[in-house]
Amino acid sequence: MQEFLQQIVSGIASGGIFASLALALVLIYNAMGLVNFAQGEMAMLATFIAFTLVDHGVSYWIAFPVTLVVAFAGGILVQRIVIRPVERAPILTLVIVTLGLATLVNGVAGFIFGYVPRSFPSPFSAQTVNLLGAFVSYRDLGVIGVSTVVLLLIYLLLQRTTIGLTMRAAAHHPEASRLLGVHVSWMLALGWGLASAVGAVSGIMVAPILLLEPNMMQTIIIYAFAAAVLGGIESPLGAVVGGLIVGVTVNLAGAYIPFVGGDLQLAVALAIIITVLVIKPNGLFGRPSVRRV
Amino acid sequence: MSALLELEDVRCGYGPTSVLHGVSLAVPEGGIVSLLGANGAGKTTTLRAITGGLRWLGEIRFAGRSLRRMHTEDIVGVGIAHVPEGRGILTELTVDENLKLGAHRRKDGATAVRKDYDRVFEYFPVLRERRNLSASTLSGGEQQMLAIARAMLMQPRLMLLDEPSLGLAPLVVRSIFEIIRTFNQADHVAVLLVEQNARLALEMSTDAYVLEVGRVAVKGASAELKGNESVRRSYLGY
Repeated sequence: MQEFLQQIVSGIASGGIFASLALALVLIYNAMGLVNFAQGEMAMLATFIAFTLVDHGVSYWIAFPVTLVVAFAGGILVQRIVIRPVERAPILTLVIVTLGLATLVNGVAGFIFGYVPRSFPSPFSAQTVNLLGAFVSYRDLGVIGVSTVVLLLIYLLLQRTTIGLTMRAAAHHPEASRLLGVHVSWMLALGWGLASAVGAVSGIMVAPILLLEPNMMQTIIIYAFAAAVLGGIESPLGAVVGGLIVGVTVNLAGAYIPFVGGDLQLAVALAIIITVLVIKPNGLFGRPSVRRV
Repeated sequence: MSALLELEDVRCGYGPTSVLHGVSLAVPEGGIVSLLGANGAGKTTTLRAITGGLRWLGEIRFAGRSLRRMHTEDIVGVGIAHVPEGRGILTELTVDENLKLGAHRRKDGATAVRKDYDRVFEYFPVLRERRNLSASTLSGGEQQMLAIARAMLMQPRLMLLDEPSLGLAPLVVRSIFEIIRTFNQADHVAVLLVEQNARLALEMSTDAYVLEVGRVAVKGASAELKGNESVRRSYLGY
């Protein structure tokens, strides 16, 4: 029982990481009807920025917000420079562009920082604390805490502020929003900035666990896809719930299903993606899409 | 008298298809003007050109200032509220959020906005009841009310209405038109009204233009057009 509880808590911690990246995917999907395949790589690059700062003696708790600001600005730049020129292109073009962007960012990171895995500091100690009979590491609790705060902030921004309202409006109904005076194009850029910052959180949270190197996010993005698809690719709340479910499921599967172990956890995520797409393509919180013919 | 909105020889279309072949019209400050004509005559296109939805040749002036090369969101910012074809309701959002979007660019302070909220709720009590519901749950008539209420909250000097009667029960149409007239008189807001229902539109407006395949075929005082048998029969179909 105690071990089971521990597995759940550490599942929730990885779930928080997946949820952040999944939320980034959802933000962009809502804005453009497009899955940004470069989301993970952008997060990885942001993590390298945080690493460089910490490496140069900057305190972790300063490096963290600075990185988020840089990632936010970077996301806006990517939208303005790379995405905007092809905004109206067919969806396949956009997909190829984000795939190209992923390869590009990955290559640039490898070129600048090399492919040697580096250990990334965690501000939380690896010691454990007895929580309701389960031994939980401060590291897991820290990850859960940080993800909760970030996701809550995003929720408040989107649901409770005027800028969040205009972002949602621009994402769902660009034409009607323009007629209400919403600067749609800038709202899309803001969405990219926000997604990039949330993605960066997931990168910074996962780096101490996985070791930082240019390919670090390539498995995490699969989990994030699973989370986003499970939650319903259009629903921010779904991304969070999906992230937690995927985190816990994958962790439990790894611990209790003998042949899964640590090696086939990714396969569990892929199985979730396929199962959801076959049985309930709109996910848990997605609306069925209706198309008029 | 200089008009609030002036179109001079406006030509435009979609890609290679030209729709307007030189439309000139004027809406006076505080006036109600109707734009009539058959399907495909270019009524909606005229409205879209005014709010920058497509590129045009000729000249469009609002309050003496050319709207050439202005973006839709900025045109709206200078005081034109456009209730588009299909109403432009944001169905993913609540009724209240839709209304908030109408007022979000205003700079005259929260008190003034709240006052206007109270006023539109007086015009359309049903919106107050449904305030926190998703806009997608509203009926067609209620959605039209929401679209007009939202446009009112933009505090415009000119309102462009694209077929507000479309698909609504006659009684609902009556009451909506009544409210538009009240608003026009109370706030001195000019209205450019595109309508299929020519009889109703002529009753409302002071002046009218009839479009025929992208040109103004007839223009004049609404009362005159209403009384003119041959205009009625050949263009207005009643």
